[in-house]
Amino acid sequence: MVGIVPAFLEMDRTFPEKCAIECDGRGTTYAELAHRVRATARELGPEPGPVGVLTDRSEDTVVALLGILAAGGVYVPVDPAFPAARQRALLEAAGCTRVLGPTGLRSAPDALPDVMQAAAPDPARDEPHRASPDQAVGDPAVGDPEAPAYTLFTSGSTGRPKPVLTPRRAIAASVASLRDLFGLTPADRVLQFASLNWDTCLEEILPALTTGATLVFHEEAYTGSIPRLLRAVAATRVTLLDLPTAFWHELVRHLAESDEQLPDRVRTVVIGGEAVSPARLAEWRARDTGRVRLINTYGCTETTLITHAVDLHGPEAPGPGAWWGEHEGVPVGTPLPHVTDAVGPDGELLVSGPALALGYRDLPEVTAERFVTRQGPEGPVRWFRTGDRVSRRPDGHLVHEGRLDAEIKVRGIRVDPGEIEAHLTAHPEVGVAVVVGTRVEDRTTVTAYVVPRRADADDAALARQVLRDLRASVPGHLVPHRVTVVPGLVHTAGGKIDRLGTHRRHSPAAAPSAPAEHRGGLTEQDNR
Amino acid sequence: MSPDDMVDIFRRVLETDGVTADTDFFESGGDSLMGTRVLSAVARARGVELSFDDLLVAPTPALLADRVASVSR
Repeated sequence: MVGIVPAFLEMDRTFPEKCAIECDGRGTTYAELAHRVRATARELGPEPGPVGVLTDRSEDTVVALLGILAAGGVYVPVDPAFPAARQRALLEAAGCTRVLGPTGLRSAPDALPDVMQAAAPDPARDEPHRASPDQAVGDPAVGDPEAPAYTLFTSGSTGRPKPVLTPRRAIAASVASLRDLFGLTPADRVLQFASLNWDTCLEEILPALTTGATLVFHEEAYTGSIPRLLRAVAATRVTLLDLPTAFWHELVRHLAESDEQLPDRVRTVVIGGEAVSPARLAEWRARDTGRVRLINTYGCTETTLITHAVDLHGPEAPGPGAWWGEHEGVPVGTPLPHVTDAVGPDGELLVSGPALALGYRDLPEVTAERFVTRQGPEGPVRWFRTGDRVSRRPDGHLVHEGRLDAEIKVRGIRVDPGEIEAHLTAHPEVGVAVVVGTRVEDRTTVTAYVVPRRADADDAALARQVLRDLRASVPGHLVPHRVTVVPGLVHTAGGKIDRLGTHRRHSPAAAPSAPAEHRGGLTEQDNR
Repeated sequence: MSPDDMVDIFRRVLETDGVTADTDFFESGGDSLMGTRVLSAVARARGVELSFDDLLVAPTPALLADRVASVSR
């Protein structure tokens, strides 16, 4: 398996003058990008360990990612828009002693370790060349395939995010499969759309830059406006879009309501993150989308990017796909070539193969709980327990049926309700709290029920205050849509707090007689 | 675009009648995804393509209608 850095440098040798990254209309060739990557690796020095990166929507973040990998370090992206306390917690949990970022981001010097500037291109120093002394950096198969390549975070019930350590072999195996799945060629132009702080962005960046394709950044794509996004996609001649399913639902609504079409260069739309709405899929099919591959995908941070996929519509969709979504859930697909899966007796999806993460950094007990070793016919096999409940249909496609725990998906991001509850109960005016995710049609709403610490609290004012304080102190995906102040929580017969029971008692929309627990109703499950 | 037109858009997107000209989108269950629906509705009605940042700084129907007016002027 060829590592990511050698695969990228191979593109530098094959297509040195081809555009690797186009950022708001300005192009960077593979030769220029490789030059910057080597310079960053040289500046970091060998084996730099975990290096934090304050991400931004530009080639600087890609240079930092590849430069850290080339030096043998561990890439740790941090959103500079996160509250400073959150940034510090992430950097500490990942073990970062250094942070790469543009100057001007030192807004909280006490919150961050030493900030060093990303290596800027220096045309005076030397031309991009192939025989410099620093060629050694990153050119050989760097380091041990078991060494970590990056650290990303998943939600933890204690309120502290869990750092997932992803090794080099995992990213190499996954990216090789994704190049094939997407059918990428050097002629492709891939929009960088996903947040740079979650692993989906690596699905956009790494397959493109190891194929000789062009990665496109465009500021109009990140405005939150679908008309502006569509115009940017058309203007930059993007051929592949990778969208969170929740955002794709909004795109389909927009296309249906405005009678617009997808820009005609787009040949593939990759979606993933939560259950596909059968209604939106039907609307998509009803439009002129037959030439576009619509690929539904599934994967966990712990199993590296995508592990399962299926073409739901378009030229490569299997024939029977036409009825998907009409009578049962839309499938998440079959395992990619590098993935082995199994369905446990309780319906839990287990995943094995080279794409498994090393575990959660400094959390051996949680790691042992989710990464289990079972005896197979040819010896012990390591599996990741996804916590997702699935069924396998006769045609081999998996259908997501829900969660075995209370985890929810907020705009495609996994959230343990316990993490939001921990932040809520840390508020000085809140006694206890529960958080429930409810899914109606194609959208998940997160509701927090809080019991005030003081009996004389003004309910409406308290709800507003808690919401405002939370918005100021935690990232957006951990802020509930609604905070409802209630006199007390519902408990089970065994004395445990009953999340769903509390929701049923206090939500006007969730009358006990309402059809519940299934698609379109109340659910405490996540649906990818 | 009048504040009343904007109240109608907020009501449709937030799926509640309890919206006035001064209702804060983000304190009424709105999030970035639902925000795209507000932006699309404004674009269809007035041809003005606002961004999510506009909604962040002008989160009520009255404020957002002002913003549309100042952009289209």
